[in-house]
Amino acid sequence: MKEIKISISNLSLNYTGKPALKNISLNIPAKRVTAFIGPSGCGKSTFLRTLNRMNDLLDGVSVSGKVLIDGIDIYDKNIDVVNLRKRIGMVFQKSNLFPKSVFDNLVFGARLNGIKKEEELMEIAERTSKQAAIWDEIKDRLDENALNLSMGQQQRLCIARALAVEPDIILMDEPASALDPISTGKIEDLIYELKNEFTILIVTHNMQQAARVSDFTAFLYMGELVEYDRTSRIFTNPSSRQTEDYITGRFG
Amino acid sequence: MERHFLQQLEKLKTRLIKMCSLVDEQLELALKAVNEENPELALLVIERDNKVDKYDLKVDRICQRIVALNQPVAMDLRMIMSSLTINNNLERVGDIAANIAENFLLIKKKPSFFERIKFASMAQITTGMLKNAIDAFINGDPKTAEKVIQSEELLDKLNVENHKISIEIMKENKDNIEAAVAFLVICRQLERIGDHATNIAEDVFFIVQAQNIRHNYEKFFFSEHQMDDDEEL
Repeated sequence: MKEIKISISNLSLNYTGKPALKNISLNIPAKRVTAFIGPSGCGKSTFLRTLNRMNDLLDGVSVSGKVLIDGIDIYDKNIDVVNLRKRIGMVFQKSNLFPKSVFDNLVFGARLNGIKKEEELMEIAERTSKQAAIWDEIKDRLDENALNLSMGQQQRLCIARALAVEPDIILMDEPASALDPISTGKIEDLIYELKNEFTILIVTHNMQQAARVSDFTAFLYMGELVEYDRTSRIFTNPSSRQTEDYITGRFG
Repeated sequence: MERHFLQQLEKLKTRLIKMCSLVDEQLELALKAVNEENPELALLVIERDNKVDKYDLKVDRICQRIVALNQPVAMDLRMIMSSLTINNNLERVGDIAANIAENFLLIKKKPSFFERIKFASMAQITTGMLKNAIDAFINGDPKTAEKVIQSEELLDKLNVENHKISIEIMKENKDNIEAAVAFLVICRQLERIGDHATNIAEDVFFIVQAQNIRHNYEKFFFSEHQMDDDEEL
């Protein structure tokens, strides 16, 4: 396997006493796309949120096990969670842009990090929106309200905004589920491009999307990791009967 | 999905089984035409080859529709990929049955040396291989498929022996040449049917066990030359 970016061992998460993730262990390779599939409520999004400690924001959550990013335990009590989240960008199902201009959205994180020079901010806006393949569409609309953009553009702007704080991991939770096929295609192409520089984890209900964009796929069911393997193997010859039943629609 | 999808898969399998029966029957009739010296039966086989072609197109169309509309994966994908190749092999067997009938019509009678050539034993092995291949596919049974693959070697050997015998027969009397050539071709066609039955048997392994045993595939790709687009975990 390539260099391991995230190493997870015996990760369990209880939410108000109920187990949501059960003893999950897996290694996620650097600069690859890893997809998480499974039925609703199986723990995919919860799992994703353990990686940037977003579950900490919920009451009644307890986490056990280890999550190492570049060998460092992110649940260690000395970890600065804000710094951790700078390293891990996140994109959600629906775009969550601020009701501000396109430019302000793009440089929001950079400004929070104390960058004030307009020139530098402009450079960041251009670089990240080029990385997110949206520059040509917004370069003449930087002062416009970001919420005027199409849904697909808004989602790519969210990705650009996430890139502005220079993360090395990007978590995507159903990033294209609210988009039309053309916008979905653009997001998928973008994921393909971004994996050269970032480690990407994507949760998706769309199995064809998981098959198209990811290098590795993990199948979760009722909080357990059923199977984790190369995507090409999962979708041609999975080891587990449960995985086979899920991906062929014979589940339940 | 998906009851509708499963119904489509079932329809595909039913069509393919019908194709199997039709092709099996075509081969039986072609051999019967030779054994019973029955030109009418030979003509019937040739005429019915159209029916095989129609089934071939139907199966292709069903596969195309299922892939386009359902994006099948895993065992469903293997089933559809194999259905296409099995269908193609069956269509070729149908063509060969018609060719056997055509070659027989060139001579219309069993020659005096008929008992000396390997036609009867080759016909018996070939029909057995085709039936077993079909049974293995219908029942998803790799053990029966293995029997088919094992029979291929014997069939090849008989074909080589038949070749030598046919040359001797031709050398003995030039009046034998026309019939000897016709039967040389017929026996060669029986050997080809054995190859197609073997291909079908290999597909059974692929459908049931996700194991590609064609051309030593596993050995080639997974032992010596790792597929470079497949990164290991």
